[in-house]
Amino acid sequence: MTSPLVEVEHLVKEFRAGGGLFGRRRTVRAVDGVSFVIARGETLGLVGESGSGKTTVGRMLLRLLQPTGGTVRFDGADISAVDGAALRALRRRMQIVFQDPSGSLNPRMTVGAAVREPIVVHKLAKGVDADERVASLFREVGLDPSYTSAYPHELSGGQRQRVGIARALSVEPEFIVLDEPVSALDVSVQAQVLNLLSDLRDRRGLTYLFIAHDLAVVRHLASRVAVMYLGKLAEIAPAETLYERPRHPYTASLLSAAVGPDPAAVKRRIVLEGEAPGLGRPPSGCVFHPRCPHPLKDTRCFEESPALHKIEGGQWAACHWADEPLGTPVADASGSAGGPAAE
Amino acid sequence: MSPLLRVQQLSTTFTTSGPPARAVDGVSFDLEAGETLGLVGESGCGKTVTALSILRLIETPPGEISPDSVIEYDGADILKLSPPELRRIRGAEIAMVFQEPTTSLNPVLTVGTQIAETVRAHRPVSRDEARHRAVELLDLVRIPEADRRVHQYPHELSGGMQQRVMIAMALSCEPKVLIADEPTTALDVTIQAQILELLADLQRQLGMGMILITHDLGVVAGIADRVAIMYGGQILEQAPTEALFAQPTHPYTEALLRAAPRIDAPSERLPVIPGTVPPATAWPVGCRFHPRCRHQWEHCTGAMPDLLQQAPHHRVRCWLVTEPHRRKG
Repeated sequence: MTSPLVEVEHLVKEFRAGGGLFGRRRTVRAVDGVSFVIARGETLGLVGESGSGKTTVGRMLLRLLQPTGGTVRFDGADISAVDGAALRALRRRMQIVFQDPSGSLNPRMTVGAAVREPIVVHKLAKGVDADERVASLFREVGLDPSYTSAYPHELSGGQRQRVGIARALSVEPEFIVLDEPVSALDVSVQAQVLNLLSDLRDRRGLTYLFIAHDLAVVRHLASRVAVMYLGKLAEIAPAETLYERPRHPYTASLLSAAVGPDPAAVKRRIVLEGEAPGLGRPPSGCVFHPRCPHPLKDTRCFEESPALHKIEGGQWAACHWADEPLGTPVADASGSAGGPAAE
Repeated sequence: MSPLLRVQQLSTTFTTSGPPARAVDGVSFDLEAGETLGLVGESGCGKTVTALSILRLIETPPGEISPDSVIEYDGADILKLSPPELRRIRGAEIAMVFQEPTTSLNPVLTVGTQIAETVRAHRPVSRDEARHRAVELLDLVRIPEADRRVHQYPHELSGGMQQRVMIAMALSCEPKVLIADEPTTALDVTIQAQILELLADLQRQLGMGMILITHDLGVVAGIADRVAIMYGGQILEQAPTEALFAQPTHPYTEALLRAAPRIDAPSERLPVIPGTVPPATAWPVGCRFHPRCRHQWEHCTGAMPDLLQQAPHHRVRCWLVTEPHRRKG
């Protein structure tokens, strides 16, 4: 195994919230001590619901947000230590694809110009050479080069997302943060874009951090998956292990909620009680305890925050009971008659 | 006995500067009391326009419901009702829940006031009674501490709680039909499961007929009794839920099921449906799905199939029903 491309250690991000005229300002911890590594050529899935801190982690990796604590190393170099030209050079090597491509494309700029801009800014090519590069990027993401003169509103959601991907690729990055890249797309288009991302990774040897709110979407790309809840890692494991033998009850409930189109599996769904509490008032002990359906839940869970600890292989979980195997809702589902008859 | 709601040959067209867009084109279905019908399709298939047409919420112009469409509720054609008659039905007999609770709730009024207003719009009750009813309704949709929450503003509630408030408002007059348009799309995965469970329980408890509109086959899998798959303004396949999932027959249904990312299918590549949904201004001639269909032959490009009987209660708009040997393996 080669050395990791991205190393994240004890990453913390605090935001100041509240205030107003008479309110007291307080600090909320959006990300609380997150550590992981991503090997070169690997795809790490980062899954969590809103408020879990997954997007904040993605932004800190690219230094679009400054961490409150902890370090991010990219290819061995601490990214918080660089600025100026060195930061620009670093930015070229890491890119981001957003959920809503219409929000990140200038409506008054043709999509060809949007893809050309970073090429020129980073002085990778100019004039006809730059045009040539744009046309070849369009072909690479499955768009006819005639679309370069179109405006964002003239394209479908799937086509706009392809433009977003071409723009990210335009500077020949090594690492791409995919922030919910298919969440806004229709099912049939989702599959096309996921396959494209997988092809590009294989062809260009890209490394991805794939952020999503549901486990089914990252299944097809990620070799390892991390699950976040209220700013902390709940579990991180090789994909196969996580989907077949989750050790954190939150992972298990997310898995059961993401069964997809299968009536039998939907009936076995674990419906969690309550909602994730606000970041301003994290629960005592294990942050998941108020919603936790674990049969062994006891006073320790209310009092003591469980550390992320190693189970076996590459599997780590932050649950006091993680050494006891959980029921495996997914393994049952695979054998049922849910899929299309033609399979 | 006639069904609770009968939609027959519903067609809705929008005309702006360009050619007319036939967003809904000859949609027919029945809804029985106590039944949940899932209306499933991708963006632009006409599912939301179908729902809005049932409540006559289509703005005219640019929209127009074709004169030979019939929407029968309680023995009357909704499309022929006078405005006061329509108001008696809309919201009271047939209610709707929308996708985005944030944009449907008034940010400057407490949720209690908004629910009470809805109650008073349809029922001759005092302010106090309406208030009391608001608390009852919040309790019904399982909002904890309803008597305190009733005084809160929408921004003080989470997305899941806001959607519960929207459901409470829709149920305020005990409607016979509830139309829920992507009620869980904007919510987190674990909250989605809660809201679906709530809708299913309420539907049973109140004996309502429910139309659940969604792009997600996983959503209808657990809760609908029957499913209608829409594409290009038409219903392409209609079947009891179990039958649809066990034996998807239209190539589009089959492809949709295969294209959905699944946690139990580790295959790297997802089967895709090539191309994109055509615009409503230019539906393909013949079968509307044929340009994207892997089974298509000459017949499909010329003649549009009707909804053909595949099995009892299972109808499919595809020539494969009459020529099954054409299906490719």
